[in-house]
Amino acid sequence: MKNTDAADPHLIRRLARRETHSSRAALSIAVAALLLVATVWLAMELVLSATGNAALLMPPAELARRTASLATSTIPGALMGAGLALGLLGLAMLAAALLPGTKSRHIVRNGRSAVVVDSEVLAAAVSRTARTAARLAPEQVTSSVGRKRIDVEVRPGSGLDVDTDAIRKAVEREVSGYGLRRPLAVGVSTGTRGTVGA
Amino acid sequence: MNGTPRGLNRTLLGAFGAVLIAAGGAAAWAAASKEFARDLTSAGTLVWGSVQENLAAGRIGGTGISWWTAAVLAVFILVAVLLVCWMAAQGTGRSNQLAHQEGEMGDTTVDTAVAAEAIKTALARNPQVLSTSVQSWKTRSTAGGTGLKVTVQARKGASPAEVGSAVEHLVDDLDRLLGTQLPVLLRIKAGTRTRFARTDRVA
Repeated sequence: MKNTDAADPHLIRRLARRETHSSRAALSIAVAALLLVATVWLAMELVLSATGNAALLMPPAELARRTASLATSTIPGALMGAGLALGLLGLAMLAAALLPGTKSRHIVRNGRSAVVVDSEVLAAAVSRTARTAARLAPEQVTSSVGRKRIDVEVRPGSGLDVDTDAIRKAVEREVSGYGLRRPLAVGVSTGTRGTVGA
Repeated sequence: MNGTPRGLNRTLLGAFGAVLIAAGGAAAWAAASKEFARDLTSAGTLVWGSVQENLAAGRIGGTGISWWTAAVLAVFILVAVLLVCWMAAQGTGRSNQLAHQEGEMGDTTVDTAVAAEAIKTALARNPQVLSTSVQSWKTRSTAGGTGLKVTVQARKGASPAEVGSAVEHLVDDLDRLLGTQLPVLLRIKAGTRTRFARTDRVA
């Protein structure tokens, strides 16, 4: 009963990985639903034609015959369009299968639990740090957190100057306290336009 | 944390994607080249001809129905069932039991609600936290088989380190209370409430 492996680094890494990557559940459900509709329709047509009833849309024999001669009986333009659309759809599905599907979240190093923080939360915390360091109003600082870097944009009041180095140091100190597994580079820039009346 | 079959999702999506690319490519090529279109149609007609012969050869008794039709129908039904299973497997594995112990005096079960209430009540007093939700999931790799997922919606500008350590204390308390360590996943997220709630300017 006592599972001492709850803090197992492999398990923690797996939990954090699952939380930071897409499971492709929504796309899978959509694809499965479409295929299900198609399969059920085909099965119903098969039953209807076998029992001698009128078809819903097209009896299976005619469907097969038309599919067999589809390449020559369709206008080339429509065939080309349909082919390209199908190909693009397939490409999107293949991309969903192969690309990592990383979500904009960051993993925090922790020996006990798997801890995952949204980039939005990090950006808000960084903005708060930057504006406290520069003594600015909340609306004068904007931050964005990417996978590898943090960009902080400060817009001091017109005619005023801010010490971007001090802001960068404050932000770096704050972020290093979070213990993120992927270290983030900090960039601070001042907006080109000043703010009036802030 | 949940039982979503991620590998299966990606495998099936990739396979269907490849089929669509092949079909789309064939269609586009047939539109571009008359010769290829003729080849496709003659091959298709040939296949359909042999299918019709088989259908005629495999009649069930005096009816007009072929064994093949019945077989194809069975395959369709099987595929439909498998598709429903695939859909139903998404997001499975939620459990409402945290721990279970069998002893001589009887079985002891700890509901997830115990941990959920304790963690929610403790974090409700925390000004950095807007809301908390606690779920438990069956995990594959652990002996106990249950993992705890704590999702915390942080106030705008809240320090993730402070929120994290607050939850960590609670997890330590929970470990002591249960006498066992559960795998824990903590997610600190932003949400609509984060966007509209005021920033804590004292922080």
